[in-house]
Amino acid sequence: MSSLAAREAYKDELTKLAADHTNIICLEADLGGKEHPFQQSYPDRFFNLGIAELASVDIAAGLSKAGFVPFFSTFASFAALRAAESVKLALGYMGENIKIVAAYGGVSGGWFGTTHHCLEDIAVIQSFQNIRIACPHGEAETRRVVQEAAASSEPYYIRLARNDKFDSLARDEQGSCRELLFEGTVRSDAPLCLVSIGEQATELCSRIYQENALVNHAHLCYVDRDSLKRYKAELQAAAETFLVVEEHRAAGGTASSLSLLLPESRVYSHDCGEEWPIYGGSHADVLHYLGFGYEALTRQIAELGGNSDDI
Amino acid sequence: MGTLAQSPSNSAGLEELLAKAQAARSSIIDMAARETGCHIGGSLSVIDLLIGAYAKFHQDADTAIVLSKGHSAAALYAVLYQYGILSDDPAASYGGAESLFTGHPNPKLPGIPFATGSLGHGVAYAAGWALGQKLRRTSGIGIAIGGDGELQEGLCWETAQLVQAKGITNFIYVVDCNGGQNDGLLADISPLPNLRERFVAFGFQVKEIDGHDLEQIIAALEPDGEKPLAILAHTVKGKGVAAIEGNPHAHYAKISEKIALKWKRGLQ
Repeated sequence: MSSLAAREAYKDELTKLAADHTNIICLEADLGGKEHPFQQSYPDRFFNLGIAELASVDIAAGLSKAGFVPFFSTFASFAALRAAESVKLALGYMGENIKIVAAYGGVSGGWFGTTHHCLEDIAVIQSFQNIRIACPHGEAETRRVVQEAAASSEPYYIRLARNDKFDSLARDEQGSCRELLFEGTVRSDAPLCLVSIGEQATELCSRIYQENALVNHAHLCYVDRDSLKRYKAELQAAAETFLVVEEHRAAGGTASSLSLLLPESRVYSHDCGEEWPIYGGSHADVLHYLGFGYEALTRQIAELGGNSDDI
Repeated sequence: MGTLAQSPSNSAGLEELLAKAQAARSSIIDMAARETGCHIGGSLSVIDLLIGAYAKFHQDADTAIVLSKGHSAAALYAVLYQYGILSDDPAASYGGAESLFTGHPNPKLPGIPFATGSLGHGVAYAAGWALGQKLRRTSGIGIAIGGDGELQEGLCWETAQLVQAKGITNFIYVVDCNGGQNDGLLADISPLPNLRERFVAFGFQVKEIDGHDLEQIIAALEPDGEKPLAILAHTVKGKGVAAIEGNPHAHYAKISEKIALKWKRGLQ
């Protein structure tokens, strides 16, 4: 059975959860698509609030205070940047039980252009503190993150991509996505540990791990400050050198957070650099233009002494 | 509909409310005399609106009152103190180190549901609260008390659009129309022509009242159940202190204790 894209998995999972969680409210900003399954199943608890992102987040705050659990979905650029002040106040400062589900993270908007890309959201959201930040990879992980968000009273920012479909890395049935996930067996003599965040990065790192089992591959689903602190000891045991692969700018990305948490380690970043994407093309094309991808990453691994030929 | 906790329909009730308003004004003047000073002009203009709203709804747990023009925090603190929702006198420590009485409403204090001050957010928050009550099928109301300068923020109109679009009829938007903003008069900076017609166009029932007449205020705070309600409350910046009434430059002031005493003695 083929996987669902993360956006579809979110909608389906939230609709399932709403059967038992009658406090869940689904808010969309006119980007949820027609025939939204939540709307079809629970029209009284579904609101397309239109193109009004700040108001939507603040309205979600009022709903939260009234005892509901609002899930608000729009594109990452509009959630994290346009509505940034509302997110800061309602989620970061007030700690309201709001879940923001941000699709089109990174440059998954492809040919739609820079207005529909978001390479800054992790930096912005993490700077507000107290917000759980999850970047799931594939359908299974997305579903589990949505379940975890619904069960938690914490504010959440869940970063999704667009329409690509991936199988998540295997996790224990009972395990939480808050746990650090190593692919395969952790080698104590690995010269380098790849740290992947998000769908494209995790696919890349998994491919490289399969080709070069001398490196370790740690996949992080949650990248907020508190979650990263919990990973510290496990990461330190896996390697002394880390290459964080993330579809984000270097500034404020997870590599910068980890470098502060792991001052004794060497932390490097494979990211989307400083260029503004100006061309169309697919998600992969835009990433390639930004220097993010298989060839560039393998070169970087070689420079860091992580190629099997160098060991 | 919310509980009418205190009616001004009898003269004793009205006298009590007038006394609270007077005491709150005195407290605001004391806050302006502290080291930090305070947003005195807009605090004095909004005080009767707050007194009226809390008189009518403060015992109704399903109704939320949100001061969206949060720079008038001094007024909110003074009113919450008058109603016993705050136990400490805000004028004793306003703006000071380790005081929770910050220059914009501090949600760490009881009775303050949201951090406002950055303009427009309280309006949308109150609309969300109202939507929540509607979903819960209570009689609760979301009441936003904002300012006319605040209406320059797009967020206010985003919210007005949504309130009518989603049929949030248990929502009251009280606009403290004092005609001033930080740097001067609205009329000089970014006026609001056809304000009544704008709210009508957004599907609101609109009432225009004297924002210093407590009987009018309390009578106006009744949505009709068919439409959201906008109350355009005409007020005077600095109301009650003759020296600054109507003066757009009295938005923020720090005064001496001697002046504070004089102004308190002259409260009208």
